[in-house]
Amino acid sequence: VTYKWLSYTLGVHVNQAKQMLYDYVERKRKENSGAQLHVTYLVAGNLLQNGHVCHKVAVVREDKLEAMKSKLSTIASVHVYSIQKALLKDSSPLYNTDYDIVKTNLQHCSKFSAIRCAAAVPRTPPDAPRAPASAQSPQRQRDAGAAGVVNGHGPPAAKPPPQQHKGIMGMFAAKAASKPQDTHKEAKAEAKEAPGVSAASSKPPTKNNIMNNFFGKAAMNKLKVNSVPEQPKEEKEVVKPSVAVAEPESSPNTVAEKPGKKTESARIQQKDKKSKTKRADRSDDEEERDPENVKKKRKRIKQLQSDSSDEEDVPPSPTPEEERAPSPPPVPALKTELEPASTEGSAGGRKRKRKRVLKSKMFIDEEEGCMGKTG
Amino acid sequence: MFSEQAAPTAQGLLAPPSAEPPTFPRVPVSGYSDCSQPFQLGERSFSRQYAHIYAVRLAGMRPGLERRARSRWGSDIALRKLSELQAGEKCCVVGTLFKAMQLQPSILQEISEEHNLVPQPPLPKYIQPSDELILEDELQRIKLEGAIDVQRLVTGTILAVYGSEQDDGRFLVEDHCFADLPPPLPWNGPSSDRFVLLASGLGLGSVSGEALLSTQLLVDVVTGQLGAEGEQSCAAHIARVILAGNLLSQNTQSRDTINKAKYLTKKTQAASVEAVKMLDEILLQLCTSVPVDVMPGEFDPTNYTLPQQPLHRCMLPLASAYATLRLVTNPYQANLDGVRFLGTSGQNISDIFKYSSMDDYLEILEWTLLAGHISPTAPDTLGCYPFYKSDPFILTECPHVYFCGNAPHFQSKLLQGKEGQRVLLVTVPDFSATQTACLVNLRDLTCQPITFSGFGADSED
Repeated sequence: VTYKWLSYTLGVHVNQAKQMLYDYVERKRKENSGAQLHVTYLVAGNLLQNGHVCHKVAVVREDKLEAMKSKLSTIASVHVYSIQKALLKDSSPLYNTDYDIVKTNLQHCSKFSAIRCAAAVPRTPPDAPRAPASAQSPQRQRDAGAAGVVNGHGPPAAKPPPQQHKGIMGMFAAKAASKPQDTHKEAKAEAKEAPGVSAASSKPPTKNNIMNNFFGKAAMNKLKVNSVPEQPKEEKEVVKPSVAVAEPESSPNTVAEKPGKKTESARIQQKDKKSKTKRADRSDDEEERDPENVKKKRKRIKQLQSDSSDEEDVPPSPTPEEERAPSPPPVPALKTELEPASTEGSAGGRKRKRKRVLKSKMFIDEEEGCMGKTG
Repeated sequence: MFSEQAAPTAQGLLAPPSAEPPTFPRVPVSGYSDCSQPFQLGERSFSRQYAHIYAVRLAGMRPGLERRARSRWGSDIALRKLSELQAGEKCCVVGTLFKAMQLQPSILQEISEEHNLVPQPPLPKYIQPSDELILEDELQRIKLEGAIDVQRLVTGTILAVYGSEQDDGRFLVEDHCFADLPPPLPWNGPSSDRFVLLASGLGLGSVSGEALLSTQLLVDVVTGQLGAEGEQSCAAHIARVILAGNLLSQNTQSRDTINKAKYLTKKTQAASVEAVKMLDEILLQLCTSVPVDVMPGEFDPTNYTLPQQPLHRCMLPLASAYATLRLVTNPYQANLDGVRFLGTSGQNISDIFKYSSMDDYLEILEWTLLAGHISPTAPDTLGCYPFYKSDPFILTECPHVYFCGNAPHFQSKLLQGKEGQRVLLVTVPDFSATQTACLVNLRDLTCQPITFSGFGADSED
């Protein structure tokens, strides 16, 4: 039992933990209960070494305590470091205990310390890449006032990432509810059509087959960054009504998520070559089909993309939030279009066929992918 | 300095639990500015030759050296270029030094097939009595002899020699001088006690774990968990922690993936991955409580050539969430509360150690300051980026604290210059070997080592 372990476990200040340990030792010793306690102390002070006055901090066993104290010319502090039943051979159990307890509490490691630092404010993720770009971190370090600014800046920018994650859940809930494929396909069709063709998604089913070609085309056309915000805007308009059909409450999440996702798939297109975009396309489709693996895959891609394209992502992602307001007016207009599209009970057979086609393609791609990896 | 202030309440914690214990706020750093922009490389192109760096170095240091030469040997001495030398005339020449060493590892000799040589094993020192000094300027070179210490000097130093050319084509040196201390910076130091902790060579990822408890103790002292109340309040005056390189140990450098077959090493991770994870956790604990500057070192995952670029923040995901973490270059220059810090992770000093007869790291540190250049051996025996516009290692202003990391022992010295410069020279010891770090007091430029120890299997003496 070290003082740090006690402090974290009981949630008390470290000094109180040290005092508690001392008190316990005193009481147990007075009782003379027979169970022998071995105590280690922390001693700190000045020591003359090699001609310098050196400040030494040492963990010592009880029997060596007096010897160490006499060696030090001035004693700065003495307190109980730990108590154990058995005699310790070396200090590794102490270190291990401390290491374990700190590891489980990494986020609050300074909560019970005696020093508070006003400048140690965690940066929110979108701020982190912004900091090197703007080189403002020395200022942010400085005072709590600036920290307030940081926090104010942080939450709006931080909204898209959590919403994207929420959006994943929302998306899968939507999938469980009704036709996500349609929304997905429609959104995809929108994404693909947006740069080149008009935004009207009149024939989403047929678009699916053209999607792959379009991915290739889009990759070669090199979508520009400013076209991407347009994509989310338009996708959102499409997605919003379609999701509204499925699940109204999760719409804002999916809206924010889909633009995020689409920006990523757009990124994927921009950055990867044609074959790779096909794989990404497939993986997006796979994500639809298989929630479990998909979630992981999506997160991975998302993380890759978010790391590399955070700066680019951040400007587009706030725009979807603002543009949420203008989206409701176009919603009714598009809704009528999508109503026939979404009520594809008649096209169920075609859907199934499409599923089959896509699935087989998925297998091919998986094989390709596997072979690609081992090759 | 810690101890005197802390002594009164030393035994305070040997008591039953008291009321709410005090927490001390960390002293805020009011005047921090990073001055290491010259060491940050933007776009890097290695298509240039290294000769340019010598040319700009000479051009940059020539005016200062000419001034020094005039002030030392009289303002009427003749300053000549090598091409203008006349036999027998006493004059002063400014140029770059080149030391021809027999034992210097040469890549050309190694790969030369006609010699059939095995590559030379690394030696601690490459000096030999048969080494020669040659002075080069922009166009010519000339052999030096005379009152000049061949063993002590290293290649790449810019100096001014005073003497005359002999008939056999050598230059007889009567006296020489270096650029000497650069002009001083104004002193705006803090009026109250403020400390900066310098540590280097944490050596994480090494096979032995004895230093781990000491590292944990260091973190605990700085974050205020260790020590009685007096010590904790003193620790609250630590304004900054600078980790000067070698955060990972040499053991993480093994590159099995190159030597072994791919099927053996496919599933193995580089040892540095685990070490970086440990580093991240330690830095997280530190960052929640104190601003930290992390400099890369010889064994850290960054580029090999000087100036080493900062570690990438994606390697430290937990710690880089905090604004108190600053990943900086090696060498590093910054203004802290009006005090100018300049330091390296020790590669420049240990390189000079190998090629010079100077044995003391502090002596070498002082010598680089007097020579006006952080790392004169840079392109020759130490990897360096091919600069061509300007040499960022030339010392243009005199820092207040000049440190080097990964030295074998702790040493410090306060140097006073002729023009009023006051420099604190500190050699920061390797923590994994000595469990010692340094505390620099910014108010009066003093330095105190701080040692940590646990207890091992053998009894303490």
